[in-house]
Amino acid sequence: MSNQAVGGVYQTIIEEVINSSRVDFEENGVEESVLEELRLGWQQKLSQLDVAQFPWDPKPEPPPPAMPVPPINPAPAQNHPIKAEPSSTPQLPPVAPIHNGMPDQMQIPGGFNGVDNKSGNVAANRASQLIQQQYGNRATGSINAIQDQMGQQISGQPQQVQLPPLVQQGQHMIPQQQGSQHLPAPNGQHHLHNAQTDGAGDAEGEFEAILMRRGITGDLEELGRVDIDGILHEQIAARAKAMEGGGLMLPLKEATKHRAAGGSKSRGPGIGAHDGAEDEEDEDAINSDLDDPEEDRSDDEVDDEGLGHIMLCMYDKVQRVKNKWKCTLKDGVLTVNGKEYVFHKATGEYEW
Amino acid sequence: MATGGQSFYELYRRSSIGLALTDTLDDLISDERINPQLAMKILSNFDQAITEALQKNVKCRLSFKGSLDTYRFCDEVWTFLIKNVTFKMDNGTPPVVADKVKIVSCNAKKPGEGP
Repeated sequence: MSNQAVGGVYQTIIEEVINSSRVDFEENGVEESVLEELRLGWQQKLSQLDVAQFPWDPKPEPPPPAMPVPPINPAPAQNHPIKAEPSSTPQLPPVAPIHNGMPDQMQIPGGFNGVDNKSGNVAANRASQLIQQQYGNRATGSINAIQDQMGQQISGQPQQVQLPPLVQQGQHMIPQQQGSQHLPAPNGQHHLHNAQTDGAGDAEGEFEAILMRRGITGDLEELGRVDIDGILHEQIAARAKAMEGGGLMLPLKEATKHRAAGGSKSRGPGIGAHDGAEDEEDEDAINSDLDDPEEDRSDDEVDDEGLGHIMLCMYDKVQRVKNKWKCTLKDGVLTVNGKEYVFHKATGEYEW
Repeated sequence: MATGGQSFYELYRRSSIGLALTDTLDDLISDERINPQLAMKILSNFDQAITEALQKNVKCRLSFKGSLDTYRFCDEVWTFLIKNVTFKMDNGTPPVVADKVKIVSCNAKKPGEGP
């Protein structure tokens, strides 16, 4: 089995790289101990991949082979059938889950939506926290002008704490929250207040408090507009992300992140539900778009673990007659079934 | 990536030994033991070392058969996705079977040029 050769060849490569890198380390003023560390770390990582028996590995059965030097091919040869076979089968399971890895990732947003829709409390809590951060600051600024105590409470305390004094002070605001259209504001504000009202429906105390704060500032209109502008801008940006960037153009992970962020930004069940619906559509789109290339890509992804089924080599000749292919390859590394092989020459015949 | 005037393919960085090296270098970089430039230099040393080691130190032959699922030839690189592959080694060991294997292959005739 050419698997035996791997250990020796890799040992040679590591020595070669370490030796030729010594000068570079010196030129960069890096201590040689780091070079040694590199070698050890490298060997250790390679051993963890368990693609072959390496000379530096402790022997599985110490008695028969005693020499841990590369040119001991006959000795580990005996070990190989014994060790390689059992470990090659357990190697397979790690590969399979990785194939599933991508679909799993794609389902994450779905799961998140599920959470979002079913238990809106999670999203509401997050949203409230986020809003607390935003408005806490703004409110501090504006409220400080009116009442120092209030500002301190707002920045430092949960919203429920400040609710009672607020109710006392701005009681006339409460009806306005419920019928938010009454607020003297441009049209855009309706959306905002709808959102906020929805939010209040979800977790009333918190969201009321937010509206109240704005009411408390006194110059309701101006601050309201500023806030609204900010909120609208955020929402539009979030939408835009969800629609284009967050959906199709971004890597899956980032897209998922945006979605998560969007979900946490949603200001209530109404908006949250909208987001949820959009997400589901997006997801479908993403799924269908990515499903096809994934077939190929799964192979790329798999070798993140170093255990993908992949052959890296040079080609001398690639010939095709109708659907029959013949190729001559050389100087290759083949990773298959969790084991690695090296070859000098390989010929392949396959039909398309 | 030039190493002593000659450059080598970087494709072997995807092998297990290349990945192990990359991982280790990443660790060293994130610990700020080495800088990324040095890591790149080491990787190019690796490109050279593995290419030469495979040319000089390996004698094994291999043949394989299967059904070709996908083929691609781009920038002088052949990529094959082969299903139901059987690999036969030249030294009489039992053949190795795999559901699928991906072959990434650079042109052997222009070793002076990177992929």
